[in-house]
Amino acid sequence: MASHAHDSDHAHGNPIKEYMKVFWTLCFLTLLTVGAAALPFPAEWGTPGDILHVTIGVIIAVIKVVAVMYIFMHLKFDHPLIRAFVYVPVFLFFVLVFALNFLESFEYTRVVALP
Amino acid sequence: MSAALNLSHEPITKIANGKLGMWAFLGSELMFFSGFFGAFIVLRNSNYEVFANGSSHLNVWLALINTFFLIGSSLTMALCIHAAEKNDRSKQQLFLGLTLLGALGFLVIKTIEYSDKWAHGYFPSQENHTLFYSFYFMMTGFHALHVIGGIIPMLFMWFRGYSKKGYPYPVKLEVLGLYWHFVDLMWIFIFPALYLMIPYHGAGGHH
Repeated sequence: MASHAHDSDHAHGNPIKEYMKVFWTLCFLTLLTVGAAALPFPAEWGTPGDILHVTIGVIIAVIKVVAVMYIFMHLKFDHPLIRAFVYVPVFLFFVLVFALNFLESFEYTRVVALP
Repeated sequence: MSAALNLSHEPITKIANGKLGMWAFLGSELMFFSGFFGAFIVLRNSNYEVFANGSSHLNVWLALINTFFLIGSSLTMALCIHAAEKNDRSKQQLFLGLTLLGALGFLVIKTIEYSDKWAHGYFPSQENHTLFYSFYFMMTGFHALHVIGGIIPMLFMWFRGYSKKGYPYPVKLEVLGLYWHFVDLMWIFIFPALYLMIPYHGAGGHH
């Protein structure tokens, strides 16, 4: 446990391989998010199409963010306290993005008349 | 080892104090950008036409190239830290240099994008595009400032690396790396939010 925690030269596997994996995953997900945005959703503002559109984009972004934090930012190898310290605010940020998107879409569909 | 150095790691988490400080700073940075994202989401949904119209004039391809610049420089930053931990000076310099190139490439593309927007009158004073372009320039502008903020210490560490002593401080590189990955993370959200998630169906709303 002790040697695991402070040895920066992690004994498990080759970190370079993991970095490359994350890199290619990020490239793939970037192209995927651009491709998904080009899909012809019936994406009128405030409709389920728009919400689906945004949801797909946000989910892909969240996967990318978690991959970067876990491997590139070494959270995988850090103490669980650090992981908790980082994950809680980031989770709240995701909640903000999701919740505002959903609530606002529904709210304005009701309140503001469509032109 | 001097007494001062013994204090450099937090006793429970075994994390370097500098890294802990950087994480705390990044927490405050997240809140800073949360303000933009919160306001962006609310105003996007209440002014969809304005935002969709504004977003349709952005150049997705340039932003895509920029995304790859940032992802690539995040990778080389991680590889640079790995080389520094292994005491491999030449690779440390190579990968830090590549990270710098990625950062500078990002700024060059950003400059091209900004001047193009400016030339076509898309800035926060034109009647029709005010709201969207306020967000565009504030969010990408603050992000670009963060890129510049990363380049400055990177340049310092890179030049110091060529001195006789080199730059044998992997923990400091790691702290800079955390910051640099955060800059990448923010772009991961800014890119889809501004460029992709506001499809435009024309003024008549035909679809």
